[in-house]
Amino acid sequence: MKKIAGLVLIVFLAGCSSSASVKISTAFPSVVSEPKPIIASILIEDSFATYVGKPNKNTTIDIGASQVNLLKSAFSGLFETVDFITSLDQINPETDLIITPSVLEVQVSTPSENYLNVFEVWIKYNLEIETVDRTPITNWFMPAYGKTPDSFMASKENAIEQATVIALRDAGAKLMLDFYRIPAINDWLSRQDIKQESR
Amino acid sequence: MKIRPLNFQLGLLLIILSGCSATTTIDEYRPTDQPIVLNSDEKVVILGRRDAGHYETDREFIECVSKKVTSGAVKILPEQRFIDAIYPWFEPRTAPKGLPRLKRLMQQSSIKAKVDALSIRYLVWLDGSTETTGQGGSMSCAIGPGGGGCLGFAQWDKLSVYEATVWDLDELVEKGRLRVDSEGTSYLIGAVAPIPLLTPVKNDACNSLGNQLKSFFSVE
Repeated sequence: MKKIAGLVLIVFLAGCSSSASVKISTAFPSVVSEPKPIIASILIEDSFATYVGKPNKNTTIDIGASQVNLLKSAFSGLFETVDFITSLDQINPETDLIITPSVLEVQVSTPSENYLNVFEVWIKYNLEIETVDRTPITNWFMPAYGKTPDSFMASKENAIEQATVIALRDAGAKLMLDFYRIPAINDWLSRQDIKQESR
Repeated sequence: MKIRPLNFQLGLLLIILSGCSATTTIDEYRPTDQPIVLNSDEKVVILGRRDAGHYETDREFIECVSKKVTSGAVKILPEQRFIDAIYPWFEPRTAPKGLPRLKRLMQQSSIKAKVDALSIRYLVWLDGSTETTGQGGSMSCAIGPGGGGCLGFAQWDKLSVYEATVWDLDELVEKGRLRVDSEGTSYLIGAVAPIPLLTPVKNDACNSLGNQLKSFFSVE
């Protein structure tokens, strides 16, 4: 009986702890889209694949592996041919675009900070987009946002995990929705069309 | 006239319990009285709106309404299965807020093919929330070596407002709208042990909306 009471107490106290270490291992669905006939190389640097966000001294969020999976799915929905490479010497010479994603910052907001009954997570990405000859096209800032429906009875770790998964899904949605609306990409695309037509 | 204590207690209990029922109003708009006919293969998906900043339609409510509608032989595709199958076009950022955007989405052959493969004919958007609108009273509880207890009285009002919009994914038109308003007061009486007298406002809203929505559809 005492053991059960002790266990219950530990569970309650764990729920009250202010630190959280979260590792995201959720699988993301594949995207429904019509990719454009573009060959792209996505440079996944080691720092991106193993990224662990530290929004504050008590919280760590390991999103490295899951964000790589998410971007693999999303980029495959944008381009007909996608190579995921880990270094520049693996670049396919026929590549049209080289994209290097990186995480600028991860932010977390808890109910005690936002005075709302929700946990919120922001992931700020940067996509460095270049042509095959390394001419920069643009640096695209891509923020993603996720929040829990509410924080009722949720442990801090579970709530942050839930909000992070929603933020990662939002990153995929943002990429699919807005990539071809980036003015520099739009401009680059129209120049590719002109090139193809003049051939 | 002499009132017997048992009758008095029963009367008091009835008054208290009748105070715990929710008042629910349903408004309905549809262009025709005829039900929407589904063939045996066609399904309906019920989705919650989650694009507002200060609230989001909770999944528990969606599940509750889905269960009500399913009990009428209408096939319902679970919300998350639909959202995953059509990712990322029904995420909070990308979900169509109006018919013009839905029409543009359905022009994409890959999205149309997915909707057809899932046999989804109608999409029902649910938008709303349940909120505590007012509270009063006070209750204090204490515990000591000889035991514990609560003394006092507390009450709170809850209001559920939900709106359902039915979209036809084949004809790309709106087939009808429903709005449910449900309100009620819950009480907590502290007489040594706390006695909750809860008004199931959200449950009432779900039952009313679910039953009304069920009457929208008929299966061939």
